[in-house]
Amino acid sequence: MQIINVKNLTKTYITHKRGSGFKETIRSFFKREKVIVNAVNNVSFTVEEGSITGILGPNGAGKSTTIKMLCGTLFPTSGEITAMEFRPYADRKRYVGEIGAVFGQRSQLVWDIPPIDSFNMNRAIYGISQADYKSRLDELAELFEIKEVMHKPTRVLSLGERMKCEFIMAMLHKPKIVFLDEPTIGLDVIAKAKIREFIQKINATGTTFILTTHDLEDVKQLADHVIIINHGVKVFDDTLQNLQLNLGEKKIVELTLEEPFNNSVLDDSVRVIEQKSPLELVLEVDVSKTTIGDFIERLSKKLSISDISVKELPMEEIITQIYEEEKTED
Amino acid sequence: MRSIKHKIDICAAVAHVTIKEYLVYRSHMMVSLFVGPVYFVVQFFIWTAVYGDGGALVGFEYEQMIRYFGITALLGYVTWNSADWNLSMLIRTGRYLTFALRPLNHRFFALSQKIGHRLLAIGFELIPCTFIFILLFGIDMRPSNIGWFVLSVALAFFMNFYVNYCLGLASFWIVQTDGIRYLYALLSTIFAGALVPLVFFPVSLQFIQFFLPFQYISYVPVMVFLGEYRLGGFTLSIPAIVGIQGAAVIVMFILSEILYKSAMKRFTAVGA
Amino acid sequence: MKKFFNIYFTCIKTAMARALAYRLNFVLSMLIALGWNALFPLVTILIYGAGASFPGWDFYEVLLIQSVFLLSTGFAFMAFNGVLWSTMHHIREGSFEIVLLKPISPIFFMIAANFDPECVGMIVGGTVLFTIAIVHTGVASVMAVGQFLILFTAGFAVMAGINMLMAATSFKWVGNSRIPEIFDSMMEFGKYPATIFPKPLQGIAAFVFPVSMIGFFPAQALLGDLEMYMIISIIPCILFMLFGIFMYKHMIKLYEGVGG
Repeated sequence: MQIINVKNLTKTYITHKRGSGFKETIRSFFKREKVIVNAVNNVSFTVEEGSITGILGPNGAGKSTTIKMLCGTLFPTSGEITAMEFRPYADRKRYVGEIGAVFGQRSQLVWDIPPIDSFNMNRAIYGISQADYKSRLDELAELFEIKEVMHKPTRVLSLGERMKCEFIMAMLHKPKIVFLDEPTIGLDVIAKAKIREFIQKINATGTTFILTTHDLEDVKQLADHVIIINHGVKVFDDTLQNLQLNLGEKKIVELTLEEPFNNSVLDDSVRVIEQKSPLELVLEVDVSKTTIGDFIERLSKKLSISDISVKELPMEEIITQIYEEEKTED
Repeated sequence: MRSIKHKIDICAAVAHVTIKEYLVYRSHMMVSLFVGPVYFVVQFFIWTAVYGDGGALVGFEYEQMIRYFGITALLGYVTWNSADWNLSMLIRTGRYLTFALRPLNHRFFALSQKIGHRLLAIGFELIPCTFIFILLFGIDMRPSNIGWFVLSVALAFFMNFYVNYCLGLASFWIVQTDGIRYLYALLSTIFAGALVPLVFFPVSLQFIQFFLPFQYISYVPVMVFLGEYRLGGFTLSIPAIVGIQGAAVIVMFILSEILYKSAMKRFTAVGA
Repeated sequence: MKKFFNIYFTCIKTAMARALAYRLNFVLSMLIALGWNALFPLVTILIYGAGASFPGWDFYEVLLIQSVFLLSTGFAFMAFNGVLWSTMHHIREGSFEIVLLKPISPIFFMIAANFDPECVGMIVGGTVLFTIAIVHTGVASVMAVGQFLILFTAGFAVMAGINMLMAATSFKWVGNSRIPEIFDSMMEFGKYPATIFPKPLQGIAAFVFPVSMIGFFPAQALLGDLEMYMIISIIPCILFMLFGIFMYKHMIKLYEGVGG
């Protein structure tokens, strides 16, 4: 069943050019130059109830604008959004009572006091009964392992602990849909893994998740539905399996060598993306054909390496590949 | 009925959180226990010198003048708030979004916050300072009519809150609101009546005050405390001036409502 | 010594350049400062306007005291006030080490680096009020001008001491932006003719927390009404400044000891 339906969503901003310096400032005070920005352009998609949808895209692609419109805090310029029985932007106050949201860097927690007090504040704001609140908090605190942590002042918590508390803050009222804007930004590997685990556990109880991220790993681990936005335009909208089929299983390997590179390591699973100098280069490895372990073993036998790092495909690379994919299909 | 109960619940929870939050900084609040009396001592000697052997000045007896400054100082602890600065910080840092994402009117949230903060101030500033004023300086702290006085103080609190909240809302349109806020602070220092009773000013300036928010924040409740109200050549009964003060608060409330609505429109249009 | 002046003037130049980079903001904050200055003698104006007075003082004599007070605080804030805010910031962020890493005296560095050109507004306002007052009161003698300059310098020393004490307090009272209020309230005693206060308070304002030297004593010198005890109180003024500097240095030592 569809829980969110987005049709031809468009958001246009009109901003004004701001002059620098005294004269320019005065001039722009009287006559301002208009600049029209198409933040989101004619985007349509649907979200299934109980799914996890990842909205992927580089910084400034329009992800945040889209999720803000889905949350009802931003008016679309044109287009329609239906979420549950609401039109988010028109019924904001009733609608936001039924959803939860965590916006990565914008904390709901009160800095100087323990999270438990902030939780209680949200209990009142969402009108949760004391009994429901207690059982829900117990359940979430257990799940997130913060029973002790939530009694310490927020300012002494680690970023990971704080993030867990942000999650609880947004989920006390049992929202049917939860929006997450960059939920793992700035977290270390272990904290990221924890947060992903919790999202999966909550999702298993039937909660729909929509998350924006520029971290491909988030999507790989969590999402069953992937939407990619670039320059405000939807460039991909399908299942995770199909995204992986499209992209293949690829990793980026950055190398620094002690002797000039030779082509002997290249075969059909490896290609050179960039060669910065004879000693520095970037390779793309198709891990569906070989494992990273095998590849490195083979590499170290043929070349002497002074530094190596293995990375996920960067967002820009994914988008380029999707565009190429589309072209070949046409 | 259910919605009123819900509102009271929110107000209590937010006020509780705010009290806990500022309790951490109670030593900052207690600065008032030193600063308040010191300023008062200076005022005391200024006016003692000015009155010299007695007589009345602009209709104030010496005794009244001293009480005027005593109660003005104490009143500040009940009405003060920083709603303007708090809101403009939320908007500038983008944290306002976390309120738009909750089923909540932010102005009501801010009001609840300020109620909590003032309750704390009553405990840590008002009550101890009142004792100091009574015991150390022997000032008569009995209002002429406790009912009207409490009402007028409450209205002053609301007036100050709505005005400051509106100043904060300006941040939705203007990036740098410091200038506006400083200008307001300057005018309110002069015309609220904390410096001198407003009857010291030229009559035309006094008269304009009926149409500006400043006197309703300090001068009016202080005069209600003293039991006689004069301004701009008018002498009004206590119920009459408190009535006018109430009307002024309602006007300010409506103004803040209009501004809040259009600020929300702007926020949902450009996202601030 | 030459090295110190060199550093100081380089810092002033940087501060000026920084302030002028945001000209609009600079002009605006100066105008607002001027507005607050106009407020400064308002109570006095209204009292005299209502036909009352401080017994024994005519309006322009009181205005003279207050304009001298304003000038003194204006110059002192320009030179020292940034030290408090900068210290407070460094302590809260735990970044005072940056100051300690500089190869010069930390107290000198803090003063030089936090020169605040925006206080020009206060000095301009003070000068205007001073001129208005002095035109009406006149100057007692050439000697009086010399005495005035000496006492004014002593008052500046008191202001330096006050600023150092405030900054020292911020080491212990972390993040309390109300510290200046405490000192502002005590400085109130220096704004009015000291004769309106009872003798014990006059004594404190002359010898213990010598705020009378900020406005009242130098103005008395110009009016030719200098008394012996006012000259003697130069000594506690100097001691007060030294005490402020000592406290600030002491706090730095404690900070180094604790290591943040």
